[in-house]
Amino acid sequence: MSDMKENLILEHRLSAHPDSRCWFVAWSPSGSLLASCGGDKSVRIWGREGDSWVCKSILEDGHQRTVRKVAWSPCGNYLASASFDATTCIWKKKNDGFESLTVLEGHENEVKCVAWAPSGNLLATCSRDKSVWVWEVDEDDEYECVTVVNSHTQDVKHVVWHPNQELLASASYDNNICIYKEEDDDWECRATLQGHTSTVWGLCFDTSGERLASCSDDRTVKIWKEYPSESGQDLSWKCVCTLSGYHRRTVYDVSWCQLTAALATACGDDAVRVFKEDEGGDPNQPVFSLVAQATRAHNQDVNCVAWNPKEAGLLASCSDDGDIAIWRFKED
Amino acid sequence: MAIERSGDIFDSILLADDMFRGEGYREGYAQGTCRGLMGGRRHGSSHGARLSNEFYFYHGFASTWKYLLQQNTDAKCRKRLKVLESLLGLIQDCPLVDPQSAKLPNDAEKIRAKFRQVMELFVVCLQLDQISCLQLEQRLHVSLE
Repeated sequence: MSDMKENLILEHRLSAHPDSRCWFVAWSPSGSLLASCGGDKSVRIWGREGDSWVCKSILEDGHQRTVRKVAWSPCGNYLASASFDATTCIWKKKNDGFESLTVLEGHENEVKCVAWAPSGNLLATCSRDKSVWVWEVDEDDEYECVTVVNSHTQDVKHVVWHPNQELLASASYDNNICIYKEEDDDWECRATLQGHTSTVWGLCFDTSGERLASCSDDRTVKIWKEYPSESGQDLSWKCVCTLSGYHRRTVYDVSWCQLTAALATACGDDAVRVFKEDEGGDPNQPVFSLVAQATRAHNQDVNCVAWNPKEAGLLASCSDDGDIAIWRFKED
Repeated sequence: MAIERSGDIFDSILLADDMFRGEGYREGYAQGTCRGLMGGRRHGSSHGARLSNEFYFYHGFASTWKYLLQQNTDAKCRKRLKVLESLLGLIQDCPLVDPQSAKLPNDAEKIRAKFRQVMELFVVCLQLDQISCLQLEQRLHVSLE
């Protein structure tokens, strides 16, 4: 284990949301900026200056309560923030800072996640009110709700878009994952992935979109693979691998590096771990091995991990201790 | 013999417990059936009324807006009309009159979700619990006239 630690080197530690929790971090599409959000109701934008990371701007006054997630638009000019105040704010990049463009209302209570589709024309939000909403953006920066789906029976924790198809996945407190597709102007749940035995906290597609990683309160990470469906109607996803025995507490987040295919996890046992798929394995029964771990990555629960989209091996994590940590993952 | 005869005499007393229990059971059963039927009917009618009140409120809302918008030809209105029609279609296809239908819970959720989308599109900020359907219907009638 001590050898493995060498593979994950701490480069920077930032007191991002002091005296509060840092809930989520998101890299801008160009990989040059990192957005963070937290219990202090603010969103902060971080950028590299020389050898260190500095706070470039603070987005305040957008929310009345905790900001739970942030998401960059694919063009990198917009930022969406989801808050426990039941709203989602859209921010537009302007000169050096950001200005609040619009506020999306409609959810009955806490908005848990927001995600931009790869086209940039659609935005998904989910909430404790058990619903998933899809919003359409027009040329005038106006947002209109195109669907409300109630496929989960509990709090919806996370939403994520497929990297190259208009396919949406959501994870919930009801232990299930739902996959949605548009049909006749309406979005419908086309597959329900059952297997986790407790809350599913995070989801991440691989680069091709053929596989989906999920992490859960049951202390496991599952890898799901898409198979051609027999009926030709519903989508078919099967669990091809379960990573168990590595995490001692809830796994809150999972991130699949688009460049190196390394899989990072954020865990309630304060650790950050990196897994890699064994080469030459059966694609229907892939095997993943732990290749790096920082057991005391943070002083408290690690809430999120995010691989930089452009710089291979650069990983950001954030925690209940309010800090952001920037790691360098080196392969042997 | 003497014993048997004396048994006959006292039968009506000795077996009275059994006899009255049987009669009481039958009477109680009849009363219970009647009460159960009434209770069930009341329960069913209150649920049915609540569901039809909710969904026909949605129906009324959607029909009214459809009527108000149908002359407009701009893209935004067309889009809205489509959503309204989709809501009306869902209500039409929902087996509301069949309480045994397995489709009903799922369809009901779909209708509620679609109505939430309609509410967002029309930016009607109201809490259905706080405002009576009647009040809203009256307002809609006013806007129609």
